[in-house]
Amino acid sequence: MNNYELTLILNPDLSSKFDDFQSKFDKILSDIGFSVKKLENIGRRQLAYSILNHNKGHYAIYQLEGPAEGALELETKLKYDTSVIRHLLLKVDTLSLEDSLLMIESQEAKKAPAEEIKVIPPKAKVVVVPKSDETVVEDPKITESE
Amino acid sequence: MSEDAKKNFHYKNIDLLKRYITETGKIIPARVSNVTASEQRKLTKAVKIARFLALLPYTDSHR
Repeated sequence: MNNYELTLILNPDLSSKFDDFQSKFDKILSDIGFSVKKLENIGRRQLAYSILNHNKGHYAIYQLEGPAEGALELETKLKYDTSVIRHLLLKVDTLSLEDSLLMIESQEAKKAPAEEIKVIPPKAKVVVVPKSDETVVEDPKITESE
Repeated sequence: MSEDAKKNFHYKNIDLLKRYITETGKIIPARVSNVTASEQRKLTKAVKIARFLALLPYTDSHR
């Protein structure tokens, strides 16, 4: 058994049907004896250059574990899958099960517009804390006087 | 430069990689960027993978 990291760039037009693709792809993976250790659905992203006349791509990163023979089969399957515009299967020593920087970046990008609305609730919470703890109340006063 | 003594050159770490390529997309030579030889090898590999995955450009004249 080897560890693999698979990055897929999917056709952005099928971005909304990612769940369909995922269930299909999971079947392919299980057929060849691969197990998914982590899936990062990064979503649509601007491509640095156009691939097959697409300027955007739907990125997904899989952390996989499976046999070497399956990897070959997976490569051929991906090659003839028209919804995958580019793929990269890397054999890795250890799987990275933490969120990748790409994932963090896309999450922040999604959060950014929503944060403007959410700014008010955290402020309200901060006010509640000093009220419950008398000792804490003194600290804000010091900072205020400064 | 000392702040990032441990440079995590990985193809998903695009923001870091971007600092080591020129405006035209070329990888900056180690003699200019003062990256160690082993780091430069990792950087080169990471940039090339990132280019393949369209995370970084090959050149500045893509169409």
